[in-house]
Amino acid sequence: MAKFITKRLLYSVLILFFVMFLIYVLMYNMPMSFVETKARELASRPGATKSYTEWLADLNAQYGMDKGVVQGYFVWLHSAVRGDWGDSWVWTIPVIEKFNDTVWYSFVLGLVSFIFEILIAIPLGITAAKKQYSFTDYFTTVVAMVSISLPTFFLATLLKYVFAVKLGWVDLTGMQGRDYQFLSTFGKFLDLAKHFVLPAVTLTVVGIGSLMRYTRTNMLEVLNSDYIRTARAKGVPEKKVIGKHAFRNTLIPLVTMLGGSLPGLFSGALITETLFGIRGIGYASYNSMTQADIPFIMFYLAFISVLTLLGNLISDLLYAAVDPRVRLS
Amino acid sequence: MASYNLNEILKQKAGKTEKTGSVGLDDVSRVKVLSPGRQVFKRFMRNRLAVFGSGLLILMFVFSFLGPLFYPYGQKEIFYKYDTQNVNYALAKEITSYTGYKLSSDITVPRTVTTSINSMAKKLIAADGDGALLVADDDAFLLNRINDDVFNLSSVATRKVASVGSGSALVGTYDMIDDTITFNGQKIDGLLEALKADFNRAGGEFTFEGVTYAYEKDVAKSYNIYSEMNGVVMYDTDLPASFEGAFEKAAGSKAYSFVVSGKTYFLVESTNGYDAYFVSGEKAAMVFTRLTFNAISSDVKISDELKANTLTHIMDGTSFKVDGNSYVVAESEGLMILKDENGGEIAELSQFSVRRYTGEDSIEYDLKKEIEELVLTMAETGAKSETLVYNIPLQDESGLYTYDEEGNLKYSEAELVITRRDTGEYVINCDQIIYLIDMFSPASKEHILGTDGDGFDVLARVMYGGRISLMVGFVVVFLEIILGVIMGGLAGYYGGWVDNLIMRMVDIFYCLPSLPIMIILGAMMDSLRMDTYIRLMIMMATLGILGWAGVARMVRGQILSLREQEFMVAAEATGIRVKDRIFRHLIPNVMPQLIVIATMGMGSVILTESTLSFLGLGVKHPLATWGTIINSVSSATAMAHYQHIWIPVGLLICLTVIAFNFVGDGLRDAYDPKSKR
Repeated sequence: MAKFITKRLLYSVLILFFVMFLIYVLMYNMPMSFVETKARELASRPGATKSYTEWLADLNAQYGMDKGVVQGYFVWLHSAVRGDWGDSWVWTIPVIEKFNDTVWYSFVLGLVSFIFEILIAIPLGITAAKKQYSFTDYFTTVVAMVSISLPTFFLATLLKYVFAVKLGWVDLTGMQGRDYQFLSTFGKFLDLAKHFVLPAVTLTVVGIGSLMRYTRTNMLEVLNSDYIRTARAKGVPEKKVIGKHAFRNTLIPLVTMLGGSLPGLFSGALITETLFGIRGIGYASYNSMTQADIPFIMFYLAFISVLTLLGNLISDLLYAAVDPRVRLS
Repeated sequence: MASYNLNEILKQKAGKTEKTGSVGLDDVSRVKVLSPGRQVFKRFMRNRLAVFGSGLLILMFVFSFLGPLFYPYGQKEIFYKYDTQNVNYALAKEITSYTGYKLSSDITVPRTVTTSINSMAKKLIAADGDGALLVADDDAFLLNRINDDVFNLSSVATRKVASVGSGSALVGTYDMIDDTITFNGQKIDGLLEALKADFNRAGGEFTFEGVTYAYEKDVAKSYNIYSEMNGVVMYDTDLPASFEGAFEKAAGSKAYSFVVSGKTYFLVESTNGYDAYFVSGEKAAMVFTRLTFNAISSDVKISDELKANTLTHIMDGTSFKVDGNSYVVAESEGLMILKDENGGEIAELSQFSVRRYTGEDSIEYDLKKEIEELVLTMAETGAKSETLVYNIPLQDESGLYTYDEEGNLKYSEAELVITRRDTGEYVINCDQIIYLIDMFSPASKEHILGTDGDGFDVLARVMYGGRISLMVGFVVVFLEIILGVIMGGLAGYYGGWVDNLIMRMVDIFYCLPSLPIMIILGAMMDSLRMDTYIRLMIMMATLGILGWAGVARMVRGQILSLREQEFMVAAEATGIRVKDRIFRHLIPNVMPQLIVIATMGMGSVILTESTLSFLGLGVKHPLATWGTIINSVSSATAMAHYQHIWIPVGLLICLTVIAFNFVGDGLRDAYDPKSKR
């Protein structure tokens, strides 16, 4: 087991190394005019803390943009490994600080919708599989398909239109109400929660489909397996067959998949956060991306890559941990 | 080539048996065998959702690819409409300020002089003076009152003849270091030399040109010079005896000029009194007036030269020549009229001006008179607003006059509303036809889905948008498949280090966050102002490159299991080339999975593309895609009012993606009935 984890970890680090290299090459090849224009814009902003040349000098020191690709990559890697990610251009504070400010909003948003996804999708998926080709099954399939096919931005706009414009229940964008400053602590919490409703609904609806289909497929597979047939033949009550034999076995791939998506909760929802004005990491990184904030973008891309690799690792380990039949080697 | 179609063989056999007449129970012709393709088709058709999806897709394709052929509008066609708009037609006011016209181009009048004319003219009228002297740094100008409306400005040579004053006044400051005097008012030549001739650091007095000056230390190395004056100081010796008294009297009454024994002297304020000047050599420079020229026939343009000459001859009633034509100003019925040599009336000079709001003088004389009359009664009664119906020249959408076939102006009756402004001006409003871009028009017979913010027909945009969206889907998926099949095929067939290398690449590409990368690329291309078609190509290529990993992984997995099968052993044994073994024997066996993956992929590519376009980072204006159409009305206000644009388009995206997914699902079930949906 320990050997397997070590191997996988080393392997992940290797992949990360190359992924980061590709990302670095992309950044390195950004047309200099683009970077320079953006740096100029930043320097001419009211309250700019650094001048145009200072920004560029910082960039070169941090990212080795003035050196060759490979050499520059190691310059950056050297400072990145030590946790020195530089100052964000757009937010004008250290990248790590901005990350700490934003990531928890994203995590809460992700976690809430993740829980709702699980609560809705898994029971529905199991019901659909139990009654294959029934109306419920078709209904679930269609709902799952719509959920997968619904563009996030369209759903978000639709929700905003209905609940913010037509009904006026919530604000159009933003995280806080107008009178946020005058509310008590609990009031602040409620206000914040109210603003998180629509984004959470959006994420849940968009995410439900694939989980539902996954559950249904796996449940069907289990239901068609020999031991279920044996259990039924033995005369085990259907309730017990489904609840004990089938469901537990369906849980194996489900836990693997869900465990694997846990790190993704930190990655933020780029489009949803941007459209609803939730100042999470997705919103921050979207604004950084459109404004050539190289330090923040590099950090965000590295962060996402780490999360992806971590997710794969976790699901591999869980696969072995949950299913005793699997031997890691 | 021999046919391997089982049905054909069976038929042939059946043909043979038919000749014998009877069909046995166990006869092969009783067995209907479907080809694999038809079997798949049959299974596919049994799946209602898949059939629904295919129908939807066919509809989508017909709509986006054939629709534009029959739809009359293009995607970049801008629509306009006519509308009436209440515009500011004219402005009427009584002119109280004086406008200058140049009489001579040789003389430049300093700005300090021209800007002081207005107040000086009013002061002259109030004091009932005939003229005043204006002294600029080195030049002097004489402002002559011809009448209250017209003033003449001439450049003159001056001679200071006397000064009058009382008490002491600061003349200037002497700076020892620079050795200069900064004068407080009029510059006095020779004062510096007079001061330095008998200079005392502690301060003192000296006399210059009959005036006594005192100086005292102000700050270090700087002295204030005061002139002490009590009574009149004469500079000219040959002045008549009565001069002094007349001068003092004029200064006391703050007059601008006085006459002594037939000679006119002008007063100019000095630091502590007045200076008297004698002027000579008048050269006419400018003429100032508060009259305006109301052209009687609107097609005559009155040049500034004619205006200036008219004004100088306004009182004498003689005729004058400008550009070879002779003119005369005459008064008739209380109006000043400019006439040409034949007595034709050209313009009326009046203090009341009615102009188009743009400032141009193109209003008919009769209308001007009517407006003037109305405004005067308004001023009397104190009414705030009046209405006047008049035939005014018809204007087209761009504000130009319209003409009929014979070249005459077209007229239309219009209601002119005259309103008094707080500034004392009168503004005249009327409705005018304007021609504007038909933005956000609601659904109508011409535009079934209305128009968008750029005046484009939404339905046409939706059709063309569908073309691009679907095409992007095809191209990207095609790229993905090509790359994925080559890489996956190589990895699966060769195994070993090739497999290892390619699969590590797949891992890396799996790990690359594609949406952030696309957003960065989009922002970059935005700032480079890249051509929208090139952007489209780059976007498709990038999406393809970022997406091949999944295909490669699937192909490799399939090939790994396929290559162990007997037919591959046979292929190897018969010595078929490696290339053919991969691409003719292995890949066709992966085809079903490829088709499924491609169909599903199409949906997700369309989603990605529309998301990027929605963010404004994908396909750009004026090219339409479904994402950009929604983006054009995604602002809070547009979203609330133009739901007839974005909701149908959003649903269209959704339906297309659903259709692709349904078809993909159906195909997978049909190809492999054992696998679970």
